[in-house]
Formats: sequence, structure tokens, C-alpha cells
Amino acid sequence: MLFIPKPDAALLIVGHGSTENPDSSTPYFDHAEEIRSRGLFGEVHCCFWKEEPSIREARFLIDAKEVYVVPDFISEGYFTQEVIPRELELTAATTQIHGKTWHYTKPVGVHPSMTDILTRRALEVAPGVDPAETTVFVVGHGTGLNQNSTKAVRDQAELIKNSGVGYAEVLDAYMEEQPFIAEWATIAKTPNVVVVPFFIADGLHSYQDIPVLLGIEKDEGEAASQREVFRQNPYHLRDKTLYYSSAIGTGRLMADVILDLVDDFDKHQLTALP
Amino acid sequence: MIPQRLENALNEGIRQIGQIAIHPDTAGAAFALCHIDDSDSLDELEIHRGPSVARDISTWAADGHYRFTKGELSLKSGWLLLLSDINELRQALDLFYPASLGLWIAEQDGTIAIQNLREKLDRQTGMYKFAKNISDNGAQQLVREVCGPGNCCVKKILWQLDEATPLEDSEASRYNGIVGDTDKAIPLFCREACNHFVAEARKVSKAEHEAASQGS
Repeated sequence: MLFIPKPDAALLIVGHGSTENPDSSTPYFDHAEEIRSRGLFGEVHCCFWKEEPSIREARFLIDAKEVYVVPDFISEGYFTQEVIPRELELTAATTQIHGKTWHYTKPVGVHPSMTDILTRRALEVAPGVDPAETTVFVVGHGTGLNQNSTKAVRDQAELIKNSGVGYAEVLDAYMEEQPFIAEWATIAKTPNVVVVPFFIADGLHSYQDIPVLLGIEKDEGEAASQREVFRQNPYHLRDKTLYYSSAIGTGRLMADVILDLVDDFDKHQLTALP
Repeated sequence: MIPQRLENALNEGIRQIGQIAIHPDTAGAAFALCHIDDSDSLDELEIHRGPSVARDISTWAADGHYRFTKGELSLKSGWLLLLSDINELRQALDLFYPASLGLWIAEQDGTIAIQNLREKLDRQTGMYKFAKNISDNGAQQLVREVCGPGNCCVKKILWQLDEATPLEDSEASRYNGIVGDTDKAIPLFCREACNHFVAEARKVSKAEHEAASQGS
């Protein structure tokens, strides 16, 4: 896609962030830096729910009168439909407030190109493994706060299944709701299992929580020894061979997804607002 | 425009924000930034270039803890960051003290739109909804325990509990947003309670609720 530069507009990338782990916000800054380096927007900024700059204070970062707000989140759910619009005072796909025009795009996780990124990650983490003998789990958080939160994960599992790679099965699973990823070995019927956390950033969920649920890390594991968990593939346990991937949002390809979402907004007014 | 307003301030002699000293035309760069405690020993500092390094420098404190609130009085020293123009300076300062330049300009222009604590807590949803039940006394105490230079935050608090209830006098409520004794600094402003404060308010609110339940 040829993205037509917007020198008079700002891009605002919204992420979750963490008060415990700075790695959580690293991908967002990487995405911002990548897009900034391409000179496509007059300004590129990040803001966060749990870190600074806060979503509330994002408007004080921006000089431009036109702002594209891209939720760098996986699903259309609690954060994209409630928290971000509330904090930025967005009431429609395009909102005029505080002297600026704000366009609110879809979140990155629901974009069709995510299927390629997830599939690529699944193939990279288990090189040479026969897809016909392999089950892929796409893992989301799951929450009772918003029923839409699992839809993006479910949709991507279905799309990968139909992508032609030939995996025996591609399933969605969650940390905190059914089907639980903790039950992976019972659910999977194949000798090989690939687990891809469908999270933007590597953080406590991908370093620690999901590995504990899978049984490859102990509960009291140090969050600081984190990245090792991705380097020890494959794991042999529960009579299966398990391959565990890092979060998907750490790749530079994500910058292209962000630009695609801005383009989709301009052409079709696709927005995260319900 | 933020870069122009920053440039004007520098021309008028502004040389500091938070714990950062701004040195124009230094070490071969348009701007050099360092910790305010290092301004007399620029030759001994480790040199870095480019605004994105500001995030690396400001992420961890010297004792190794993660500085998730950037107003902490814990910026590490020993570095010199060289920047090539006013836009790079603005970008670096937005990483060291996020949104602080825009808030300072908005405060000068009268457009900062302060939000008081009760209004902030009332609009919380999800797990933070319970934070709004915190008592006035609990909230006043929490400001003393969470905010101000004694607790590592060097922002000037602009908000009250509500329209009619100012913060009680304390080091935190009195703080002017400037580190040290200088009139050449851009003050750091807190226009509404941060999400860290909200999370702490939720804890106090729950503790108050449990104490009341046990007492009844």
C-alpha cells in the first residue's frame, strides 16, 4: 500500500503500558519510531493507560489540528470501546474537541493483515515441523468486562485455520476464560503444539503467566529472567512437543498495520467505536 | 506551536525542567541535556545522541527500580544527551517528562482545564470504579503519601478534591513543580490525579470499606 503522507496531521498510538514492566511499552515506541522515520506524519506520539504520557494528557503533546488515534490493542473490547473514547472524549468516528479533529481507527488486532503476522510467527517458532501434525493455539487474555474481547482472537484462529498452511487444528484459548490455555495438552490431539500469545507486547502475561499455565515455568518464576522462556523451544511435556512464541506485536510489520488502519479510516471510516 | 514556545523560553533564559539541565550550543550540538547535578562536570559524562535515548535514560532509577511515573525525583545522572535541533529537544523532553511542555504552555494560556479528584474518580470504570468511594480524609492523606517531592513526584498539583475542597496544606500540596531554587525552569504540572494515584485510591477505598464492615 502506498501511504500518502500527512504532514499536517498527528498520529497518536495508544497502548496499555505497565507500572511493573517497561518492556510492555517498548513495542509502541518502536512502532512510533518506525513511522516517524518514514516521515509520513507531521507528528507521531504514544500515550498509555498505565504509563505516561497518559491518554488524558495526550492532547498536550500535539500541535497538529488533525489527529489519527490508533488503538495499538488486540481486540475491540473494554479498552477500545470504553476507556480510550472516555479518556480522549471521543464520541464518534470523527470528533471535534479541544480545538482539534480526532479520527478514531480500528485496533491493530482486528486488521486482516494480522493473520499473516500470526501465521509467520507460528511457522518461525517451529521450523521444520509438519503442520499436519500440529495444533496452533492463539492465546488471548479473556475478560468478563466486555464480550467482544475474545472475538479478535477467535477470528484470527479461524483465519489461520483457513489460510492454507495446513495446520491440523488452530484454536483460540484464554488465560481467564474458557477454553483455558492451561488445558492445552488435553484439548490438542496432535503430537506438536505451537502457542502464540496474541498480545502486542511481551510482558508479565507472555513471560510468566502463560508459561506457568502451560507448565513450562514455575509459579514463583522471576519476571526478570523473562526472555529465556522463548529461547528454550521445544519443550517436551505432557507427551507432546510444545513451541512457545513471543508476543506478536514486537515486529516492525506492525507499523504497516497501523498505517493500513489510518488508510481504512480515510477510505471507509472504519472505527473502534461500537 | 510547542517547538517555537520552547525556543522562545530558551531565548529568555530558561535552562531547566524537572531534574534536567538544558545547555544550548554545547559539546558541538545545538542542545545538550544532562542531570542538573552534572552541569559542572560535562566533560566527564557518557555521551549519547538523539532524542529516543531519553526513554532509555529515564526508564530505570540508579537503584534499579522502574520509573513508571516520570515525575519521580529519581532521574539517574552521569549522561550527556546531544540533540541537533529544537524538534529533537522537544521530543527528548516529551520522553523525560511526558506532555510537560504542552501542559506548561496550556497553563500559561489558561487552557489547561484542571480536573478535580472527585470528577476523575467518578468517571472510572471496571476495577477502578470502587476508587470513588474513598473518603475525603482518605484522599487528603493519600496526597501526603503518594504525591510531592517527599514521595518522589516533583509536579505542582493543580487539582482539588472538588470545587469547594482544596487540598490540605502539606509539602505535596505546596510544591511548585521546580526542582531546586531557580527561576529559570519550566515547572511540571499535574492537572488531574494520575492513574497511579487512582490505583492507590482504590486500595484505600477498599480498606476503608473493609474496616467499616468489620466495625458494624
